[in-house]
Amino acid sequence: MERNKIYVNGKRRILVADDEFINREMLEAILKDEYEVIKAEDGAIAYDVVKENKNTLSLIMLDLIMPNLNGMELLARLKEDSELKSIPVIVLTSDHKSEVESLHKGAADFIPKPYPEPDVIKARVRRLIELSEDRQIISATATDNLTGLFTTEYFYRYGEQWDKYQPDKKMDAVCIDINHFHIINERFGMTAGDHILQILADRLLEIFPTDDCLVCRKTADTFLIYCPHHEDYQNIVDKIDGIVTDIAASIKIRVGVYPCCDKNLEIQSRFDRAKIAADKIRNNYSVPVSVFDEGLLKTELYAEQLVEEFPNAIEEGQFQVYFQPKFNIEGDKPVLSSAEALVRWFHPEMGMISPGKFIPLFEENGLITRLDEYVWSSVGKRIADWKRRLGVSVPVSVNLSRAEMYDPSLISKLDNIINENGLTTDDLYLEITESAYVRDSSEISNVVNELQEHGFFIEMDDFGSGYSSLNMISELPIDALKLDMYFIKNAFSKSHNTKMISIVIDIADYLGVPVIAEGVETEEQYLAMKELGVAVIQGYYFSKPVPSSEFEKFLTEKGEQD
Amino acid sequence: MITIDLLKESGADVESGLSRCMGMEDFYLSLVVKALQDDNFTVLKEKIGTKDYDAAFEAAHALKGVLGNLSLEPMYTSICEITELLRARSDVDYEPYLKALYEQKAVLDEASK
Repeated sequence: MERNKIYVNGKRRILVADDEFINREMLEAILKDEYEVIKAEDGAIAYDVVKENKNTLSLIMLDLIMPNLNGMELLARLKEDSELKSIPVIVLTSDHKSEVESLHKGAADFIPKPYPEPDVIKARVRRLIELSEDRQIISATATDNLTGLFTTEYFYRYGEQWDKYQPDKKMDAVCIDINHFHIINERFGMTAGDHILQILADRLLEIFPTDDCLVCRKTADTFLIYCPHHEDYQNIVDKIDGIVTDIAASIKIRVGVYPCCDKNLEIQSRFDRAKIAADKIRNNYSVPVSVFDEGLLKTELYAEQLVEEFPNAIEEGQFQVYFQPKFNIEGDKPVLSSAEALVRWFHPEMGMISPGKFIPLFEENGLITRLDEYVWSSVGKRIADWKRRLGVSVPVSVNLSRAEMYDPSLISKLDNIINENGLTTDDLYLEITESAYVRDSSEISNVVNELQEHGFFIEMDDFGSGYSSLNMISELPIDALKLDMYFIKNAFSKSHNTKMISIVIDIADYLGVPVIAEGVETEEQYLAMKELGVAVIQGYYFSKPVPSSEFEKFLTEKGEQD
Repeated sequence: MITIDLLKESGADVESGLSRCMGMEDFYLSLVVKALQDDNFTVLKEKIGTKDYDAAFEAAHALKGVLGNLSLEPMYTSICEITELLRARSDVDYEPYLKALYEQKAVLDEASK
């Protein structure tokens, strides 16, 4: 516990402990203009005075030979006490041997007897108080209040020092995160969360002893460790598993390791690499340790580049909306019934960037909201254009991400698009992924209910991938189930077993909604779906996602048929 | 009455002693008087007499600090010799050392009456 420094009458307070009246008086005469001097005539009294003034005492000047409690014993007692040990002590002695011994026992300095010139005494007192106060400030800022571990800035500084004196030692940069720590805070409260962090910090110090490791708490639940290289990473896993088991069963920790750091890199960059490794396994609970490799860095740098390029890409219209037709196959001939809008990114230098690369990234950092709004707006304009030019259109479904479900202005944004383009809610369908329903299901359901009541047609996307319970599905506001494309892949890749698909169709029948099958690529699949009773199919069998100009051919055809 | 001049005559390094008292003559002289009344002078003699060298050392050590700080030569030189002998717990004849110390003290005691 650090002492709070309180200035007494603008002066620092000094205790002079000496059994000789003359020595006490003399020091007081020397120091009293600049300091408040309190005096004690033996060791026991001095100890009591120190305890009483522990928060305000800047310095103790201590004679070594005193009655009741001699100076050396008092010094030992002070240094053993966590509340008193930070008060600096100057030993007053005429014995050269005692000078060294007292320094070994924790005295900060000594002043010989007979005393040197008063200016010398004053200078040494002033320097010592300054050093002590500086040290206390450093100590207060160097460590994290909650865990007592180093703060990041000091951790990096100490790490650099470490390298300077042990340049050839192989060191690992390690980053430890608690998966979904915010949920622990939400479920058990901040106090419990803090307690867990403290326990984890203590355990980390046991596993990574401070004589050859540095441990720091970087942010809420992120810990950094700089330690000698471990060959066996399973060993680290076991130690981490121990922590997990002891704290609470629900806590999962992920460890990112950048082994045998390149010391030419800035120390911060070394830990950035450990963090990249840790983030790679963010949602993979079965793999607690991830080791950094250059491939990860490339992925990370690529992701960063995409994020940086995003505003410009929106500005320059690099994103294009493609349309994949959906056909109703319930009748004799497949009939174009709707389409799904899918975004494509055409970068002038990087070429076509796969949605698999930027969609998950933008979902994670929130940029998806801007991108989706761009897509909705483009789709609205496009449908209006088709109606005007071709006199025909079909409903187009757009994706709603989980983040947008929490946007209170969601409905008004969609309304604006519809109104600005002279459309109705029959023109714009909404696809919401099943996994969005599963997390925060009641909250999401309320929003979807509102959308449905507002007139929007709701398709539950990726059905079968989100582990929703049958009980929950029966209560969800949905107008169609979109079968996850992996159902089709699995059903036709090995066993040719379509049993799972018919179960889903039964569920949809029970709910009274149609099934849309995605990823239908072959005639065999198409015929099987038709036989099973799937209402609508989407996939390469009919068409890949195409630009608006190509999609217009389907519309024109439909116009002619109608 | 003890004066600065008398102290100088007796061999004291008045300049050093005064400097430690921030140049305050009255304060310095009052401390000199106080030092001459220090119980440790009596304790030292008694404890050497009973060969209780531990207690004698403590008394000598305390006097050494005080006399040194006041620069009361030649008493300071005498007490340093006694202190070092006692630190080694030497079983020597202390009489000549004590005699020198107390004779020097007597000069000042007389003046302070």
